Amino acid sequence: MFSKLLPERLPSTWRLALLQCITIATSIALCLTLAGMALRSDLETISRRILLDDLGEYSSVYEMAGLDGIARMFVSGRHENTEGVRVTSADGTIVLCESLSDPEKGFPWPALTSLRKLPEMKGVKAIEHPGKQPHVLIGRVFLPDGKLLWYGRTNESDRGYIQHINLYLWYAGVAAALIALVPIFWYAGEVLQPVRSMIASALALARGSGRERLAASSAVPELREFAAAFNTVLDRNEELTSELQAANDQLAHELRTPLARIRGNLEAFHDSVSEPAARDAAARGLDEIDRASSLVQTILTVRAGEHQALALHREPLSIRELLTDIVDLYTISAEDSGVVMKLDVTEDRTLMIDQQRLTQAIANLLDNALTYTPQAGSITVRCELDETQCIIHVEDTGPGVKPGEEENIWMRFVRGSAASAKSPGMGLGLSLVRAVATAHGGATGVNHRPGGGADFWISLPSEA
Amino acid sequence: MRLLLAEDDPELTRQVVACLEKAGHEVACYDRGDAALAAAVQKAFDVVILDVNMPGMNGFQVVEEMRAKEEIVPVIFLTARDGVVDRVRGLTAGGDDYLTKPFAMEELLARIDVQLRRAQQSGTGQRRIGEWFLDTRQRRLRKSNGEGVDLQPRECALLELLLDHPGRTLTKKFLLDKVWNIRFDPGTNVVDAMVCRLRRKLDVPGHTSSIQTVRGKGYVFKASS
Repeated sequence: MFSKLLPERLPSTWRLALLQCITIATSIALCLTLAGMALRSDLETISRRILLDDLGEYSSVYEMAGLDGIARMFVSGRHENTEGVRVTSADGTIVLCESLSDPEKGFPWPALTSLRKLPEMKGVKAIEHPGKQPHVLIGRVFLPDGKLLWYGRTNESDRGYIQHINLYLWYAGVAAALIALVPIFWYAGEVLQPVRSMIASALALARGSGRERLAASSAVPELREFAAAFNTVLDRNEELTSELQAANDQLAHELRTPLARIRGNLEAFHDSVSEPAARDAAARGLDEIDRASSLVQTILTVRAGEHQALALHREPLSIRELLTDIVDLYTISAEDSGVVMKLDVTEDRTLMIDQQRLTQAIANLLDNALTYTPQAGSITVRCELDETQCIIHVEDTGPGVKPGEEENIWMRFVRGSAASAKSPGMGLGLSLVRAVATAHGGATGVNHRPGGGADFWISLPSEA
Repeated sequence: MRLLLAEDDPELTRQVVACLEKAGHEVACYDRGDAALAAAVQKAFDVVILDVNMPGMNGFQVVEEMRAKEEIVPVIFLTARDGVVDRVRGLTAGGDDYLTKPFAMEELLARIDVQLRRAQQSGTGQRRIGEWFLDTRQRRLRKSNGEGVDLQPRECALLELLLDHPGRTLTKKFLLDKVWNIRFDPGTNVVDAMVCRLRRKLDVPGHTSSIQTVRGKGYVFKASS
């Protein structure tokens, strides 16, 4: 929750330090408030005692030496302008007023009128003078002759103490915060260094062949455990992948051998009968077996591709030559169905690719394009090259892909709504295209051509 | 010709042997890799046909051992594994050709022919197709009266391949592999289209074509026309 308040890109060390500073500042503020409250109440109690004490002293002095005695004693005492003494007659006339402050400022005596309203007191009583800053504490006592002796104290010096203590508490707090940052930076660095090396390791993992593992050699124990757990997952994945590859081989073998037996027998039958209908039936059977075995192969390829288990035989190949060969393969069929086939490759590049697989993928796109492009249409094979990738486009002037189907059509056994009973296929062609592109570290997609028709593309990373 | 066949599936063995014997070859059969290796090293064979998955020793290992013992007889793999990686593994192990199951018997015969011819280093002589003479270097068909037709590179390769195996039915799979270097089903009838085009260049109207279609099997070149 708290971390959301912090800027997104701030490194974790600084986030921690900032949080720590906020925590320390909050605790100092809390300390200061509580200590201030305690100090104030203690100082006020002391202040009251001093006041009562002084009133008693001054009234004794008055009994012994009269007003002069009070004045002398006040002057001889080391009073500051925070204290004052005065004597009033019973009717309220001030008969003596002493304070060491400069005459203008004076001791902030409240007006007698406001004081007169105070309830009558027996003996000595401290009166808090309301509404004055600084706070004034005033006590009065009846002298034996009926006059009133007033003694007042402001809490200005108390406030000074408190401020002084507060200042030192702040110094202590800031010093504590700075000292606390040192271990934070040290520990955060210690924790984050392995995290950073782990990130680097994970990135290497993403680029790697699947045999790499997450390294967390000098990390904190929790991270080491995490890396170990993660590596267990990777081990399991690798195990599953190799199991799947083995199962793939096994399945291929299990299916192909019986298919081979059937084919052999059917071929022998085909060659030995002279009855045209029987020969024809056998010929159709042979065709179907070939289709079935090619279907088995396609399913296995797509499955392997989905589980990152498609083994590639990469070799350096010129993309121009590859596309020229594929286009060449389809040119005659295209001409026969009245479709113009164009190849638009201006630049060339050598890529590390699996020639058979990639040829098959692009051939599938071309085969699709041929199936859906009407007579007098055209198919263009285009290649875009930039620093990071090579994008091969197969554009046609057919009905195009319906909006909303752009992603679906790549799924296994899904056929676009443009497909019909007349166009053959199991809906595996595009899945194979995607499986091959993904195995090469690339991607596939389809765009709508501005003039109608589809633009299927395969992107391949340049360093592939 | 003396052939060695190592295959652990009895039914397939029976079929292949029947086909090879019918084609005039003499066949020795083994159902274990180690036994096949011992035989291949001891006796002289013209071509060795090896299944990859076999008890005792797999086909790749058999070839590696054979090549280590300087046995240079041509080897054709017969396998259910279809990845390019497996194919490359087979060829780097020392195999000469690679045929995936299920396969047409005629294709196996055609591949054996290729290996035998390569082993014998025999020239193919003059290439004559009816009235035409094929000039493979210039990729041109010529008649004795000077009339000529140019061929596209792949047309020429296809025609050469058919001429190399007169009377043998060549499957589309075999033709695609040898002419286009493609080992998958490209969907569109690439081979049919190319054969049609060749026929238009070669054939005399009203006469039977020298390249005949065998339904469900492939194409055959008949020199007799």
